[in-house]
Amino acid sequence: MGKFMRQLQYQVFLIPILVIYTLFTIYPLIRSFTLSLTNFNGYSNNYDFIGLRNYARLFADPAIMSGISFTVLFAVATTVLVTLLAIPLALILDQKFLSKNVLRAVFFFPSIPSGLLLAFVWGFIFAPVPSGILNTILRELFGSGPQPWLSDPVLAKISTIVVAVWAVTGWHAIIYLAFLQSIPRDFYEAASIDGASRWQQIRYLTIPLLAPAMTVSILLLITNGLKVYEIPFALTNGGPGFETHTITHVIVLRGISEAQFGLASAISVVFFLIVLVIGFLQFNLMQRREERMQ
Amino acid sequence: MRQSNRNHWLLDVLMLPIGLLMFFPFYIIIVNTFKTEMETLRSPLSLPTEWVFSNYARVFEETPILRSFGNSLFLTVTSVVLMVLIGAMAAYPMVYNRTRLNRMIMVYLLLGFMVPFQTLLVPLFQLMTQFRLIDRLYGLVTLYLGGSVFVFFLILGYMRTIPKDLSEAATIDGCSIQGIFWRIILPLLKPITVTSAVFQTMWIWNDFLSPMLFLSTRENTTLVLEIYRAKGEFTVNWPMFMTMTVITLIPVFIFFIFMQKQIVKGIVGGAVKG
Repeated sequence: MGKFMRQLQYQVFLIPILVIYTLFTIYPLIRSFTLSLTNFNGYSNNYDFIGLRNYARLFADPAIMSGISFTVLFAVATTVLVTLLAIPLALILDQKFLSKNVLRAVFFFPSIPSGLLLAFVWGFIFAPVPSGILNTILRELFGSGPQPWLSDPVLAKISTIVVAVWAVTGWHAIIYLAFLQSIPRDFYEAASIDGASRWQQIRYLTIPLLAPAMTVSILLLITNGLKVYEIPFALTNGGPGFETHTITHVIVLRGISEAQFGLASAISVVFFLIVLVIGFLQFNLMQRREERMQ
Repeated sequence: MRQSNRNHWLLDVLMLPIGLLMFFPFYIIIVNTFKTEMETLRSPLSLPTEWVFSNYARVFEETPILRSFGNSLFLTVTSVVLMVLIGAMAAYPMVYNRTRLNRMIMVYLLLGFMVPFQTLLVPLFQLMTQFRLIDRLYGLVTLYLGGSVFVFFLILGYMRTIPKDLSEAATIDGCSIQGIFWRIILPLLKPITVTSAVFQTMWIWNDFLSPMLFLSTRENTTLVLEIYRAKGEFTVNWPMFMTMTVITLIPVFIFFIFMQKQIVKGIVGGAVKG
């Protein structure tokens, strides 16, 4: 068999992925960049090159600016809160106690079903009417009046973030738990012989050893946070006003619903750059932190 | 920290209430499927005074829930099987035929790895319209196949750990390049195939954005789309909505029970590799 035939027999295996990837990732990516420089509206085929005008328009569009700022707030807030909750949760679930296995499943399960479905159910709990579930509970317990959980600009943002934290904390606790379980027991024995208290062991032994887990978990939280769509969409539909619009929501709204393809492509490109820059910065920072801690 | 072997019953006392709080939304879903609309509005929290089961029958009668279940199943199974196959096939020459060309192809595949799906949305919408793939289940499958790249990278790492002796021995025995992949390598990939399949299943089964944009008729609806429709239709009828939610959650729950270990393994494997 000739060398060429051998090569060919191997390379055939690459055809499907190259076709799919070029057609559904690379081509659309390039097209997003080029469309963002035009005034294409999806219908008429004669459109013009308008330079960076779409990018200038981004700043004047309240939905877009709101979308970017809420998405970044959401990504940062969920990342911080989930990390602060998932590490202690993992430390607790690593102990021996009776209900441990049941609790693991209870904390883990909310990250499995569709976020859309869960957020709709939370919408029912947050119902702003006096007979709403959360309002009823608060009235019975503290005698407080009904709160507009999803229609007040600040409360709507908080509610959205709370639901997301509820949904994913268990998933991230599992990441930390796996790393905790790989820490050899001798480390703790040595530390306690040296007279380290329980708290000191956590502070100076466990947390530094969790640094690689933090890199992974935080990278996932940030990137998924920036891509958020379903939870705010289902809870508030982006309201009140544009307060809880997300970048994805705006791309769908301006791009698909209103067919402003040029403008929506400009948002897409900006979004891509945001994800790229934050991902890159975060990964570098965390790796340096890992090196420092170990 | 597992220094002591005794049970910390204090942790049970501390954690069980928090666990109940976590579970609370699921209690709300389940308990309200057995109430009338009036009772749900009046007292959504308490157990039903009179247990009503008609909501379940009504969901099956009034919504295409079985059809949407079938569609979701078709979408998920077809996409996942094809994705795993395409990903595994692509990894084969990368590991067993390491040429300069293939190293360049690898860089090419890495380029798009960080691209969020949302960035591609507008051009993909145009592309799907041009190819007349809108409102076609197989059209959506084609779109999902973009996920093969993720599977490819998962499988690539695993394939490198398979000893080369196996394929060398098979070559000496007269096995062809094609034969080695299908008969020797592919069966050995089972653990990583299961892990990737589990992850892609969760993604496609739960996906809302693409079905919402690319499927329009009721005939091609998915479970998640039906939940979305139900929210619009039954704005006032929460018991019906909660019943649909329960019916949708049952397969997810069964999947969770059987696949929990696999999911954890996948999370851990992904995390360790970083």
